[in-house]
Amino acid sequence: MIQIPNTIVFDNKVFSLDTIKGALYKFADNCSFDISCSNEIITVTIHSVDENQNLIARIRNEVIDQDLRSIIAKETSNVRTLILANAFSNTGLIES
Amino acid sequence: MTPDKSLAKKFQSMECFDKGIENSYQLLPSRFVSLSENRYLLTNEVGEYLIVSKKQLHGYVKKTLSKSSEFYFDLKSKHFLFDDDSNVAIQLLGLKYRTKAQKISQFTALHIFVVSLRCDYSCKYCQVSRQTDDKVTFDMSKETANRSLDFVFKSPSPAIKIEFQGGEPLLNFEIIKYIVLSATELNKHHQKNLQFVITTNLTFLNTDILSFCLIHNIYLSTSLDGSEELHNKNRPRPGKNGYQLTVKGIKEAQLYLGFDKVGALMTTTENSLDCVKEIINEYLALDMHCIFLRPLSPYGFAIKNKQTDKYNLQRWFEFYTEGLEYIIDLNKKGYFFTEIYTQIILSKIFSPFGTSYVDLQSPTGAGISAIVYNYNGDVYASDEARMLAEMGDSHFRLGNVHHSSYPDVMLSDVLLDTLEYSLAESSPMCHECGFLPYCGTDPVYHYATQHDVVGHKAVSGFCNKNMKIFRYIFSLLERDEVTKNILLSWVRP
Repeated sequence: MIQIPNTIVFDNKVFSLDTIKGALYKFADNCSFDISCSNEIITVTIHSVDENQNLIARIRNEVIDQDLRSIIAKETSNVRTLILANAFSNTGLIES
Repeated sequence: MTPDKSLAKKFQSMECFDKGIENSYQLLPSRFVSLSENRYLLTNEVGEYLIVSKKQLHGYVKKTLSKSSEFYFDLKSKHFLFDDDSNVAIQLLGLKYRTKAQKISQFTALHIFVVSLRCDYSCKYCQVSRQTDDKVTFDMSKETANRSLDFVFKSPSPAIKIEFQGGEPLLNFEIIKYIVLSATELNKHHQKNLQFVITTNLTFLNTDILSFCLIHNIYLSTSLDGSEELHNKNRPRPGKNGYQLTVKGIKEAQLYLGFDKVGALMTTTENSLDCVKEIINEYLALDMHCIFLRPLSPYGFAIKNKQTDKYNLQRWFEFYTEGLEYIIDLNKKGYFFTEIYTQIILSKIFSPFGTSYVDLQSPTGAGISAIVYNYNGDVYASDEARMLAEMGDSHFRLGNVHHSSYPDVMLSDVLLDTLEYSLAESSPMCHECGFLPYCGTDPVYHYATQHDVVGHKAVSGFCNKNMKIFRYIFSLLERDEVTKNILLSWVRP
Protein backbone atom coordinates (compact mmCIF):
# COMPACT_ATOMS: atom_id res chain seq x y z
CA MET A 1 0.00 0.00 0.00
CA ILE A 2 1.38 3.41 -0.95
CA GLN A 3 1.90 5.83 1.91
CA ILE A 4 0.49 9.33 1.33
CA PRO A 5 2.16 11.58 0.41
CA ASN A 6 5.17 9.96 -1.13
CA THR A 7 7.71 11.73 -3.30
CA ILE A 8 10.40 10.75 -5.75
CA VAL A 9 13.06 13.20 -6.82
CA PHE A 10 14.84 13.18 -10.20
CA ASP A 11 17.75 15.18 -11.49
CA ASN A 12 16.63 16.73 -14.79
CA LYS A 13 20.16 16.43 -16.16
CA VAL A 14 19.70 12.65 -15.98
CA PHE A 15 16.04 12.19 -16.89
CA SER A 16 13.89 14.49 -18.99
CA LEU A 17 10.44 15.58 -17.92
CA ASP A 18 8.93 13.73 -20.90
CA THR A 19 10.65 10.51 -19.88
CA ILE A 20 9.28 10.81 -16.36
CA LYS A 21 5.75 11.56 -17.60
CA GLY A 22 5.93 8.51 -19.88
CA ALA A 23 6.96 6.30 -16.98
CA LEU A 24 4.26 7.66 -14.64
CA TYR A 25 1.57 7.09 -17.28
CA LYS A 26 1.87 3.33 -16.86
CA PHE A 27 0.93 3.49 -13.19
CA ALA A 28 -2.28 5.42 -13.67
CA ASP A 29 -4.38 2.38 -12.74
CA ASN A 30 -2.95 2.50 -9.19
CA CYS A 31 -2.15 6.12 -8.41
CA SER A 32 -2.03 9.69 -9.60
CA PHE A 33 0.81 12.18 -9.56
CA ASP A 34 1.79 15.79 -9.03
CA ILE A 35 4.93 16.86 -10.87
CA SER A 36 6.92 19.96 -10.04
CA CYS A 37 10.23 21.33 -11.32
CA SER A 38 12.57 23.51 -9.35
CA ASN A 39 16.13 24.34 -10.37
CA GLU A 40 17.43 21.03 -11.66
CA ILE A 41 15.14 18.87 -9.58
CA ILE A 42 11.93 17.21 -10.74
CA THR A 43 9.75 16.16 -7.84
CA VAL A 44 6.97 13.62 -8.27
CA THR A 45 4.40 13.34 -5.51
CA ILE A 46 2.45 10.10 -5.57
CA HIS A 47 -1.17 9.91 -4.47
CA SER A 48 -3.04 6.64 -4.10
CA VAL A 49 -6.34 6.53 -5.96
CA ASP A 50 -8.59 7.02 -2.97
CA GLU A 51 -12.36 6.76 -3.37
CA ASN A 52 -12.89 10.25 -1.94
CA GLN A 53 -10.29 11.77 -4.21
CA ASN A 54 -11.21 9.78 -7.28
CA LEU A 55 -12.09 12.79 -9.40
CA ILE A 56 -8.90 14.67 -8.48
CA ALA A 57 -6.83 11.57 -9.24
CA ARG A 58 -8.54 11.12 -12.59
CA ILE A 59 -7.90 14.75 -13.52
CA ARG A 60 -4.21 14.47 -12.57
CA ASN A 61 -3.85 11.37 -14.73
CA GLU A 62 -5.85 12.83 -17.58
CA VAL A 63 -3.55 15.87 -17.67
CA ILE A 64 -0.49 13.60 -17.95
CA ASP A 65 -2.29 11.58 -20.63
CA GLN A 66 -3.21 14.62 -22.71
CA ASP A 67 0.25 16.10 -22.28
CA LEU A 68 1.86 12.91 -23.58
CA ARG A 69 -0.58 12.69 -26.48
CA SER A 70 0.34 16.21 -27.49
CA ILE A 71 4.09 15.50 -27.36
CA ILE A 72 3.75 12.22 -29.28
CA ALA A 73 1.38 13.74 -31.83
CA LYS A 74 4.00 16.38 -32.66
CA GLU A 75 6.82 13.85 -32.82
CA THR A 76 4.91 11.36 -34.98
CA SER A 77 3.15 13.81 -37.26
CA ASN A 78 5.04 12.66 -40.37
CA VAL A 79 4.65 8.98 -39.54
CA ARG A 80 0.88 9.43 -39.11
CA THR A 81 0.57 11.21 -42.42
CA LEU A 82 2.53 8.47 -44.20
CA ILE A 83 0.54 5.64 -42.62
CA LEU A 84 -2.81 7.21 -43.45
CA ALA A 85 -1.66 8.16 -46.95
CA ASN A 86 -0.72 4.52 -47.51
CA ALA A 87 -4.13 3.38 -46.23
CA PHE A 88 -5.98 5.61 -48.70
CA SER A 89 -3.45 5.34 -51.55
CA ASN A 90 -5.59 3.15 -53.82
CA THR A 91 -8.99 4.71 -53.18
CA GLY A 92 -8.76 7.69 -55.50
CA LEU A 93 -10.24 9.73 -52.64
CA ILE A 94 -7.15 11.76 -51.81
CA GLU A 95 -4.89 13.93 -53.90
CA SER A 96 -1.53 12.35 -54.64
CA MET B 1 56.71 -22.30 -26.93
CA THR B 2 57.82 -18.80 -27.82
CA PRO B 3 55.36 -16.87 -30.00
CA ASP B 4 56.53 -16.19 -33.53
CA LYS B 5 56.99 -12.42 -33.43
CA SER B 6 57.20 -12.05 -37.19
CA LEU B 7 53.79 -13.74 -37.52
CA ALA B 8 52.35 -11.50 -34.83
CA LYS B 9 53.35 -8.50 -36.90
CA LYS B 10 51.34 -9.78 -39.85
CA PHE B 11 48.20 -10.77 -37.98
CA GLN B 12 46.64 -8.47 -35.41
CA SER B 13 44.81 -9.90 -32.42
CA MET B 14 40.99 -10.15 -32.40
CA GLU B 15 40.83 -7.39 -29.79
CA CYS B 16 42.55 -5.09 -32.25
CA PHE B 17 39.72 -5.57 -34.76
CA ASP B 18 37.19 -4.82 -32.03
CA LYS B 19 38.87 -1.48 -31.23
CA GLY B 20 36.73 1.49 -31.98
CA ILE B 21 33.64 -0.64 -32.30
CA GLU B 22 31.80 1.73 -30.00
CA ASN B 23 29.63 3.99 -32.09
CA SER B 24 30.59 2.10 -35.23
CA TYR B 25 27.04 0.88 -35.76
CA GLN B 26 23.77 2.71 -35.88
CA LEU B 27 20.55 1.69 -34.26
CA LEU B 28 17.53 1.02 -36.44
CA PRO B 29 14.04 1.78 -35.07
CA SER B 30 13.16 -0.71 -32.35
CA ARG B 31 11.09 -1.05 -29.19
CA PHE B 32 11.28 -3.35 -26.21
CA VAL B 33 9.05 -4.67 -23.47
CA SER B 34 9.85 -6.82 -20.46
CA LEU B 35 8.73 -10.45 -20.56
CA SER B 36 10.01 -11.21 -17.06
CA GLU B 37 12.59 -9.75 -14.68
CA ASN B 38 15.64 -10.27 -16.87
CA ARG B 39 14.08 -11.07 -20.24
CA TYR B 40 13.09 -8.46 -22.76
CA LEU B 41 11.38 -8.74 -26.10
CA LEU B 42 13.11 -6.52 -28.63
CA THR B 43 11.13 -5.85 -31.82
CA ASN B 44 11.70 -3.75 -34.89
CA GLU B 45 9.27 -1.93 -37.17
CA VAL B 46 8.40 -5.06 -39.14
CA GLY B 47 7.92 -7.36 -36.16
CA GLU B 48 11.19 -9.27 -36.23
CA TYR B 49 12.16 -10.06 -32.69
CA LEU B 50 14.89 -11.17 -30.31
CA ILE B 51 14.52 -12.18 -26.68
CA VAL B 52 17.40 -10.58 -24.82
CA SER B 53 18.77 -10.14 -21.32
CA LYS B 54 18.94 -6.75 -19.62
CA LYS B 55 22.73 -6.76 -20.14
CA GLN B 56 22.35 -7.46 -23.86
CA LEU B 57 19.71 -4.75 -24.19
CA HIS B 58 21.93 -2.16 -22.52
CA GLY B 59 24.91 -3.26 -24.62
CA TYR B 60 22.86 -2.86 -27.80
CA VAL B 61 21.54 0.60 -26.93
CA LYS B 62 24.81 1.90 -25.48
CA LYS B 63 26.80 0.44 -28.41
CA THR B 64 29.24 -1.52 -26.29
CA LEU B 65 28.78 -4.83 -28.12
CA SER B 66 31.64 -6.74 -29.63
CA LYS B 67 31.32 -6.77 -33.39
CA SER B 68 32.38 -10.41 -33.42
CA SER B 69 29.76 -11.61 -30.93
CA GLU B 70 26.91 -13.88 -31.97
CA PHE B 71 24.44 -11.39 -30.50
CA TYR B 72 25.80 -8.64 -32.74
CA PHE B 73 25.19 -10.83 -35.80
CA ASP B 74 21.68 -11.63 -34.61
CA LEU B 75 20.92 -7.91 -34.27
CA LYS B 76 22.45 -7.17 -37.63
CA SER B 77 20.67 -9.98 -39.50
CA LYS B 78 17.31 -9.00 -38.02
CA HIS B 79 17.72 -5.32 -38.83
CA PHE B 80 18.11 -3.88 -35.36
CA LEU B 81 21.30 -2.14 -36.40
CA PHE B 82 23.43 -1.46 -39.41
CA ASP B 83 27.10 -0.78 -39.91
CA ASP B 84 29.46 -0.03 -42.78
CA ASP B 85 29.11 -3.60 -44.09
CA SER B 86 25.32 -3.62 -44.07
CA ASN B 87 23.89 -0.24 -44.95
CA VAL B 88 21.56 -2.01 -47.38
CA ALA B 89 19.61 -2.89 -44.20
CA ILE B 90 17.57 0.30 -44.42
CA GLN B 91 16.35 -0.55 -47.92
CA LEU B 92 15.53 -4.11 -46.87
CA LEU B 93 13.66 -2.86 -43.83
CA GLY B 94 11.66 -0.47 -46.01
CA LEU B 95 10.78 -3.29 -48.39
CA LYS B 96 9.61 -5.49 -45.52
CA TYR B 97 7.56 -2.64 -44.07
CA ARG B 98 5.84 -2.05 -47.41
CA THR B 99 5.01 -5.76 -47.63
CA LYS B 100 3.49 -5.70 -44.14
CA ALA B 101 1.51 -2.55 -44.84
CA GLN B 102 0.24 -3.67 -48.24
CA LYS B 103 -3.05 -5.10 -46.94
CA ILE B 104 -3.97 -1.76 -45.38
CA SER B 105 -3.63 0.01 -48.72
CA GLN B 106 -5.88 -2.55 -50.38
CA PHE B 107 -8.66 -0.93 -48.37
CA THR B 108 -12.06 -2.30 -47.35
CA ALA B 109 -12.29 -6.04 -48.00
CA LEU B 110 -14.98 -7.08 -45.50
CA HIS B 111 -18.48 -5.74 -46.11
CA ILE B 112 -21.03 -6.72 -43.48
CA PHE B 113 -24.69 -6.61 -44.47
CA VAL B 114 -27.09 -6.63 -41.51
CA VAL B 115 -30.04 -8.06 -43.40
CA SER B 116 -32.37 -8.39 -40.43
CA LEU B 117 -32.37 -7.56 -36.74
CA ARG B 118 -34.95 -10.26 -36.09
CA CYS B 119 -33.82 -13.34 -34.20
CA ASP B 120 -35.41 -16.46 -32.73
CA TYR B 121 -32.85 -16.56 -29.90
CA SER B 122 -32.75 -14.41 -26.76
CA CYS B 123 -29.10 -14.76 -25.69
CA LYS B 124 -28.25 -12.77 -22.57
CA TYR B 125 -24.85 -11.89 -23.96
CA CYS B 126 -26.11 -10.88 -27.41
CA GLN B 127 -23.92 -8.02 -28.60
CA VAL B 128 -26.33 -7.03 -31.32
CA SER B 129 -29.47 -6.00 -29.47
CA ARG B 130 -31.85 -8.22 -31.43
CA GLN B 131 -35.50 -7.54 -32.18
CA THR B 132 -38.29 -10.05 -31.79
CA ASP B 133 -38.76 -12.00 -34.96
CA ASP B 134 -42.11 -10.59 -36.11
CA LYS B 135 -40.99 -7.09 -37.02
CA VAL B 136 -40.50 -6.82 -40.77
CA THR B 137 -39.48 -3.19 -40.25
CA PHE B 138 -36.06 -4.50 -39.16
CA ASP B 139 -35.32 -6.23 -42.49
CA MET B 140 -33.09 -4.83 -45.24
CA SER B 141 -34.91 -3.83 -48.45
CA LYS B 142 -33.76 -4.35 -52.05
CA GLU B 143 -33.27 -0.62 -52.43
CA THR B 144 -30.95 -0.50 -49.44
CA ALA B 145 -29.15 -3.60 -50.69
CA ASN B 146 -28.59 -2.00 -54.12
CA ARG B 147 -27.23 1.22 -52.63
CA SER B 148 -24.97 -0.77 -50.31
CA LEU B 149 -23.63 -2.84 -53.21
CA ASP B 150 -22.72 0.40 -54.99
CA PHE B 151 -20.51 1.18 -51.99
CA VAL B 152 -19.03 -2.34 -51.91
CA PHE B 153 -17.72 -2.17 -55.44
CA LYS B 154 -16.22 1.29 -54.96
CA SER B 155 -13.62 -0.27 -52.65
CA PRO B 156 -10.30 -0.80 -54.47
CA SER B 157 -9.73 -4.07 -52.63
CA PRO B 158 -9.01 -6.94 -55.06
CA ALA B 159 -10.76 -9.30 -52.61
CA ILE B 160 -14.28 -8.62 -51.40
CA LYS B 161 -15.99 -10.64 -48.69
CA ILE B 162 -19.69 -9.99 -48.14
CA GLU B 163 -20.80 -11.25 -44.75
CA PHE B 164 -24.48 -11.51 -43.86
CA GLN B 165 -25.29 -10.86 -40.25
CA GLY B 166 -28.26 -10.18 -38.02
CA GLY B 167 -30.22 -10.80 -35.85
CA GLU B 168 -30.62 -14.04 -37.69
CA PRO B 169 -29.93 -13.37 -41.37
CA LEU B 170 -31.68 -16.50 -42.63
CA LEU B 171 -34.96 -14.91 -41.48
CA ASN B 172 -34.48 -12.64 -44.50
CA PHE B 173 -33.00 -15.19 -46.88
CA GLU B 174 -34.76 -13.62 -49.88
CA ILE B 175 -32.57 -10.51 -49.59
CA ILE B 176 -29.45 -12.67 -49.16
CA LYS B 177 -30.27 -14.41 -52.43
CA TYR B 178 -30.88 -11.06 -54.09
CA ILE B 179 -27.58 -9.61 -52.86
CA VAL B 180 -25.55 -12.71 -53.83
CA LEU B 181 -27.02 -12.76 -57.34
CA SER B 182 -26.66 -8.99 -57.80
CA ALA B 183 -23.08 -8.94 -56.48
CA THR B 184 -22.13 -11.89 -58.70
CA GLU B 185 -23.57 -10.05 -61.70
CA LEU B 186 -21.79 -6.81 -60.82
CA ASN B 187 -18.57 -8.72 -60.33
CA LYS B 188 -18.55 -9.85 -63.95
CA HIS B 189 -17.44 -6.30 -64.62
CA HIS B 190 -15.32 -5.69 -61.50
CA GLN B 191 -13.53 -9.09 -61.49
CA LYS B 192 -12.87 -9.14 -57.74
CA ASN B 193 -12.13 -12.23 -55.70
CA LEU B 194 -15.68 -12.33 -54.30
CA GLN B 195 -16.68 -14.43 -51.27
CA PHE B 196 -19.87 -14.75 -49.24
CA VAL B 197 -20.36 -15.77 -45.62
CA ILE B 198 -23.61 -16.16 -43.71
CA THR B 199 -23.30 -15.82 -39.94
CA THR B 200 -26.26 -17.86 -38.78
CA ASN B 201 -27.59 -19.88 -35.86
CA LEU B 202 -28.65 -22.50 -38.47
CA THR B 203 -32.21 -22.79 -37.11
CA PHE B 204 -33.78 -22.05 -40.49
CA LEU B 205 -31.29 -23.99 -42.61
CA ASN B 206 -32.96 -26.19 -45.23
CA THR B 207 -32.01 -27.93 -48.44
CA ASP B 208 -33.02 -24.96 -50.60
CA ILE B 209 -30.66 -22.72 -48.66
CA LEU B 210 -27.90 -25.35 -48.71
CA SER B 211 -28.31 -25.77 -52.48
CA PHE B 212 -28.00 -22.03 -52.98
CA CYS B 213 -24.92 -21.94 -50.74
CA LEU B 214 -23.35 -24.81 -52.69
CA ILE B 215 -23.95 -23.17 -56.08
CA HIS B 216 -22.58 -19.81 -54.94
CA ASN B 217 -19.74 -21.12 -52.80
CA ILE B 218 -21.13 -19.52 -49.64
CA TYR B 219 -19.50 -20.19 -46.28
CA LEU B 220 -21.52 -20.64 -43.10
CA SER B 221 -20.35 -19.39 -39.72
CA THR B 222 -22.30 -20.33 -36.63
CA SER B 223 -22.15 -20.17 -32.84
CA LEU B 224 -21.42 -23.23 -30.73
CA ASP B 225 -20.77 -22.46 -27.08
CA GLY B 226 -20.06 -25.99 -25.86
CA SER B 227 -22.05 -28.90 -24.47
CA GLU B 228 -25.82 -29.17 -24.79
CA GLU B 229 -26.32 -27.88 -21.26
CA LEU B 230 -23.94 -24.95 -21.64
CA HIS B 231 -25.03 -23.97 -25.14
CA ASN B 232 -28.74 -24.01 -24.28
CA LYS B 233 -28.09 -22.07 -21.07
CA ASN B 234 -26.09 -19.40 -22.92
CA ARG B 235 -28.29 -19.29 -25.99
CA PRO B 236 -31.94 -19.77 -25.05
CA ARG B 237 -34.63 -20.06 -27.71
CA PRO B 238 -38.23 -21.27 -27.68
CA GLY B 239 -38.17 -25.07 -27.42
CA LYS B 240 -34.84 -24.95 -25.57
CA ASN B 241 -33.30 -26.89 -28.45
CA GLY B 242 -30.65 -24.46 -29.77
CA TYR B 243 -27.85 -26.99 -29.31
CA GLN B 244 -29.72 -29.73 -31.16
CA LEU B 245 -30.56 -27.42 -34.07
CA THR B 246 -27.02 -26.05 -34.27
CA VAL B 247 -25.31 -29.45 -34.25
CA LYS B 248 -27.81 -30.81 -36.78
CA GLY B 249 -27.19 -27.76 -38.99
CA ILE B 250 -23.41 -28.09 -38.74
CA LYS B 251 -23.53 -31.77 -39.74
CA GLU B 252 -25.87 -31.10 -42.67
CA ALA B 253 -23.72 -28.21 -43.87
CA GLN B 254 -20.55 -30.30 -43.58
CA LEU B 255 -22.11 -33.08 -45.67
CA TYR B 256 -23.70 -30.79 -48.23
CA LEU B 257 -21.08 -28.06 -48.60
CA GLY B 258 -17.91 -29.67 -47.29
CA PHE B 259 -16.13 -29.58 -43.94
CA ASP B 260 -14.17 -26.47 -44.85
CA LYS B 261 -17.33 -24.47 -45.61
CA VAL B 262 -18.73 -24.33 -42.10
CA GLY B 263 -17.10 -22.87 -39.02
CA ALA B 264 -18.20 -22.04 -35.50
CA LEU B 265 -17.40 -19.45 -32.86
CA MET B 266 -17.94 -19.60 -29.11
CA THR B 267 -18.50 -16.87 -26.57
CA THR B 268 -17.22 -17.24 -23.01
CA THR B 269 -19.77 -16.69 -20.26
CA GLU B 270 -19.33 -17.30 -16.55
CA ASN B 271 -20.83 -20.76 -17.16
CA SER B 272 -18.04 -21.60 -19.63
CA LEU B 273 -15.12 -20.84 -17.33
CA ASP B 274 -14.76 -24.27 -15.73
CA CYS B 275 -15.25 -26.36 -18.83
CA VAL B 276 -12.88 -25.27 -21.57
CA LYS B 277 -11.83 -28.87 -22.34
CA GLU B 278 -15.45 -29.97 -22.69
CA ILE B 279 -16.09 -27.03 -25.02
CA ILE B 280 -13.11 -27.97 -27.20
CA ASN B 281 -14.25 -31.62 -27.18
CA GLU B 282 -17.56 -30.52 -28.71
CA TYR B 283 -15.63 -29.08 -31.63
CA LEU B 284 -13.54 -32.24 -31.93
CA ALA B 285 -16.69 -34.38 -31.98
CA LEU B 286 -17.87 -32.36 -34.98
CA ASP B 287 -14.55 -32.92 -36.76
CA MET B 288 -13.68 -29.23 -36.57
CA HIS B 289 -10.09 -28.06 -36.46
CA CYS B 290 -10.24 -24.67 -34.81
CA ILE B 291 -11.93 -22.72 -32.05
CA PHE B 292 -11.99 -19.04 -31.10
CA LEU B 293 -11.92 -18.68 -27.31
CA ARG B 294 -13.64 -15.28 -27.27
CA PRO B 295 -14.34 -13.21 -24.17
CA LEU B 296 -17.55 -11.20 -23.98
CA SER B 297 -17.47 -7.81 -25.67
CA PRO B 298 -18.82 -4.73 -23.91
CA TYR B 299 -21.77 -4.09 -26.21
CA GLY B 300 -25.50 -4.74 -26.56
CA PHE B 301 -27.31 -7.10 -24.22
CA ALA B 302 -23.97 -8.18 -22.74
CA ILE B 303 -23.87 -4.76 -21.06
CA LYS B 304 -27.61 -4.39 -20.46
CA ASN B 305 -27.74 -7.76 -18.69
CA LYS B 306 -24.46 -7.09 -16.85
CA GLN B 307 -22.93 -10.25 -18.39
CA THR B 308 -19.54 -8.59 -18.75
CA ASP B 309 -19.40 -8.00 -14.98
CA LYS B 310 -19.63 -11.69 -14.18
CA TYR B 311 -15.98 -12.53 -14.67
CA ASN B 312 -12.81 -10.52 -14.89
CA LEU B 313 -10.01 -10.54 -17.39
CA GLN B 314 -7.73 -12.67 -15.20
CA ARG B 315 -10.37 -15.40 -14.96
CA TRP B 316 -10.90 -15.35 -18.72
CA PHE B 317 -7.12 -15.51 -19.25
CA GLU B 318 -6.92 -18.64 -17.07
CA PHE B 319 -9.71 -20.13 -19.20
CA TYR B 320 -7.82 -19.23 -22.38
CA THR B 321 -4.46 -20.63 -21.22
CA GLU B 322 -6.03 -23.86 -19.97
CA GLY B 323 -7.70 -24.21 -23.37
CA LEU B 324 -4.53 -23.45 -25.28
CA GLU B 325 -2.49 -25.99 -23.27
CA TYR B 326 -5.13 -28.61 -24.06
CA ILE B 327 -5.06 -27.68 -27.76
CA ILE B 328 -1.26 -27.95 -27.85
CA ASP B 329 -1.54 -31.44 -26.30
CA LEU B 330 -4.06 -32.40 -28.99
CA ASN B 331 -1.55 -31.31 -31.63
CA LYS B 332 1.19 -33.32 -29.92
CA LYS B 333 -1.08 -36.36 -30.24
CA GLY B 334 -1.36 -35.73 -33.98
CA TYR B 335 -4.69 -33.87 -34.26
CA PHE B 336 -4.24 -30.52 -36.02
CA PHE B 337 -6.32 -28.01 -34.11
CA THR B 338 -5.81 -24.26 -33.64
CA GLU B 339 -7.04 -21.46 -31.43
CA ILE B 340 -7.90 -18.68 -33.82
CA TYR B 341 -6.79 -15.61 -31.84
CA THR B 342 -3.44 -17.25 -31.07
CA GLN B 343 -3.13 -18.18 -34.74
CA ILE B 344 -3.75 -14.54 -35.78
CA ILE B 345 -1.06 -13.28 -33.39
CA LEU B 346 1.42 -15.96 -34.50
CA SER B 347 0.78 -14.97 -38.10
CA LYS B 348 1.42 -11.34 -37.19
CA ILE B 349 4.72 -12.38 -35.55
CA PHE B 350 6.03 -14.70 -38.23
CA SER B 351 4.35 -13.89 -41.54
CA PRO B 352 5.98 -11.23 -43.72
CA PHE B 353 2.45 -10.12 -44.67
CA GLY B 354 0.02 -8.27 -42.46
CA THR B 355 -3.15 -10.03 -41.35
CA SER B 356 -6.62 -8.83 -42.28
CA TYR B 357 -8.01 -9.26 -38.76
CA VAL B 358 -9.63 -5.87 -38.21
CA ASP B 359 -9.62 -5.83 -34.40
CA LEU B 360 -5.83 -6.06 -34.18
CA GLN B 361 -4.63 -3.52 -36.66
CA SER B 362 -3.12 -0.04 -36.69
CA PRO B 363 -4.55 2.05 -38.22
CA THR B 364 -7.79 0.55 -36.99
CA GLY B 365 -9.58 -1.69 -39.45
CA ALA B 366 -12.80 0.23 -38.78
CA GLY B 367 -14.10 1.49 -42.10
CA ILE B 368 -10.92 0.90 -44.07
CA SER B 369 -10.76 -2.90 -43.63
CA ALA B 370 -14.35 -3.65 -42.69
CA ILE B 371 -17.57 -1.70 -42.98
CA VAL B 372 -21.16 -2.38 -41.95
CA TYR B 373 -24.36 -1.63 -43.87
CA ASN B 374 -27.24 -1.78 -41.44
CA TYR B 375 -30.74 -2.99 -42.41
CA ASN B 376 -31.90 0.66 -42.74
CA GLY B 377 -28.92 1.85 -44.81
CA ASP B 378 -26.91 3.34 -41.98
CA VAL B 379 -23.18 2.79 -42.48
CA TYR B 380 -20.97 2.01 -39.50
CA ALA B 381 -17.22 1.80 -39.10
CA SER B 382 -17.40 -1.70 -37.63
CA ASP B 383 -19.78 -4.31 -36.30
CA GLU B 384 -19.06 -3.10 -32.76
CA ALA B 385 -19.89 0.46 -33.87
CA ARG B 386 -23.26 -0.80 -35.03
CA MET B 387 -23.76 -2.57 -31.70
CA LEU B 388 -22.98 0.66 -29.90
CA ALA B 389 -25.55 2.47 -32.05
CA GLU B 390 -28.19 -0.12 -31.17
CA MET B 391 -27.48 0.86 -27.54
CA GLY B 392 -28.27 4.48 -28.42
CA ASP B 393 -24.84 5.92 -29.22
CA SER B 394 -24.35 6.61 -32.93
CA HIS B 395 -20.89 8.14 -32.61
CA PHE B 396 -19.42 5.84 -35.29
CA ARG B 397 -22.29 6.18 -37.78
CA LEU B 398 -20.54 7.31 -40.96
CA GLY B 399 -23.62 8.08 -43.03
CA ASN B 400 -26.50 6.38 -44.79
CA VAL B 401 -26.34 4.73 -48.21
CA HIS B 402 -29.53 6.57 -49.25
CA HIS B 403 -28.30 10.05 -48.38
CA SER B 404 -24.49 9.91 -48.41
CA SER B 405 -22.00 9.37 -51.21
CA TYR B 406 -19.04 7.00 -50.92
CA PRO B 407 -16.56 9.90 -50.42
CA ASP B 408 -18.94 11.42 -47.81
CA VAL B 409 -18.65 8.20 -45.81
CA MET B 410 -15.00 7.34 -46.29
CA LEU B 411 -13.78 10.90 -45.76
CA SER B 412 -16.20 11.68 -42.94
CA ASP B 413 -14.68 13.54 -40.00
CA VAL B 414 -15.62 10.80 -37.58
CA LEU B 415 -13.76 8.14 -39.61
CA LEU B 416 -10.68 10.25 -40.39
CA ASP B 417 -10.42 11.53 -36.82
CA THR B 418 -10.84 8.02 -35.42
CA LEU B 419 -8.16 6.65 -37.76
CA GLU B 420 -5.71 9.41 -36.96
CA TYR B 421 -6.17 9.81 -33.23
CA SER B 422 -6.20 6.11 -32.47
CA LEU B 423 -3.03 5.16 -34.36
CA ALA B 424 -1.03 2.96 -32.00
CA GLU B 425 2.15 4.45 -33.43
CA SER B 426 1.22 7.77 -31.87
CA SER B 427 -0.69 6.74 -28.73
CA PRO B 428 0.87 6.99 -25.26
CA MET B 429 2.33 3.68 -24.07
CA CYS B 430 1.58 1.97 -27.43
CA HIS B 431 4.10 4.00 -29.44
CA GLU B 432 7.00 2.65 -27.38
CA CYS B 433 5.63 -0.84 -26.65
CA GLY B 434 7.62 -3.84 -27.89
CA PHE B 435 4.37 -5.63 -28.76
CA LEU B 436 3.24 -2.85 -31.12
CA PRO B 437 4.02 -4.72 -34.38
CA TYR B 438 1.67 -7.53 -33.30
CA CYS B 439 -1.00 -5.41 -31.69
CA GLY B 440 -3.44 -2.81 -32.92
CA THR B 441 -5.87 -0.25 -31.79
CA ASP B 442 -9.53 -0.64 -31.02
CA PRO B 443 -11.14 2.81 -30.94
CA VAL B 444 -14.70 1.50 -30.68
CA TYR B 445 -13.82 -0.63 -27.64
CA HIS B 446 -12.08 2.29 -25.96
CA TYR B 447 -14.90 4.64 -26.80
CA ALA B 448 -17.41 2.13 -25.36
CA THR B 449 -15.41 1.60 -22.16
CA GLN B 450 -13.70 4.99 -21.63
CA HIS B 451 -15.63 7.31 -23.93
CA ASP B 452 -12.41 8.09 -25.72
CA VAL B 453 -11.18 6.56 -29.00
CA VAL B 454 -7.57 6.45 -27.81
CA GLY B 455 -8.20 5.20 -24.29
CA HIS B 456 -5.81 5.22 -21.36
CA LYS B 457 -3.84 2.03 -21.85
CA ALA B 458 -2.92 1.63 -18.19
CA VAL B 459 -6.58 0.89 -17.48
CA SER B 460 -7.53 -0.60 -20.84
CA GLY B 461 -9.00 -4.12 -20.93
CA PHE B 462 -7.93 -4.37 -24.57
CA CYS B 463 -4.30 -3.58 -23.70
CA ASN B 464 -4.27 -5.71 -20.57
CA LYS B 465 -5.71 -8.74 -22.39
CA ASN B 466 -3.37 -8.51 -25.34
CA MET B 467 -0.24 -7.92 -23.22
CA LYS B 468 -1.06 -11.05 -21.22
CA ILE B 469 -1.62 -13.08 -24.38
CA PHE B 470 1.55 -11.82 -26.07
CA ARG B 471 3.67 -12.65 -23.01
CA TYR B 472 2.10 -16.09 -22.81
CA ILE B 473 2.65 -16.83 -26.51
CA PHE B 474 6.31 -15.84 -26.29
CA SER B 475 6.73 -18.06 -23.24
CA LEU B 476 5.25 -20.94 -25.27
CA LEU B 477 7.61 -20.23 -28.17
CA GLU B 478 10.52 -20.54 -25.75
CA ARG B 479 9.20 -23.63 -23.95
CA ASP B 480 10.56 -26.41 -26.21
CA GLU B 481 11.09 -27.18 -29.89
CA VAL B 482 7.99 -29.40 -30.18
CA THR B 483 5.67 -26.67 -28.85
CA LYS B 484 7.36 -24.05 -31.00
CA ASN B 485 7.00 -26.18 -34.14
CA ILE B 486 3.32 -26.77 -33.41
CA LEU B 487 2.73 -23.05 -33.06
CA LEU B 488 4.74 -22.30 -36.20
CA SER B 489 2.54 -24.77 -38.12
CA TRP B 490 -0.43 -22.48 -37.33
CA VAL B 491 1.09 -19.46 -39.07
CA ARG B 492 -0.77 -18.34 -42.17
CA PRO B 493 0.58 -15.93 -44.80
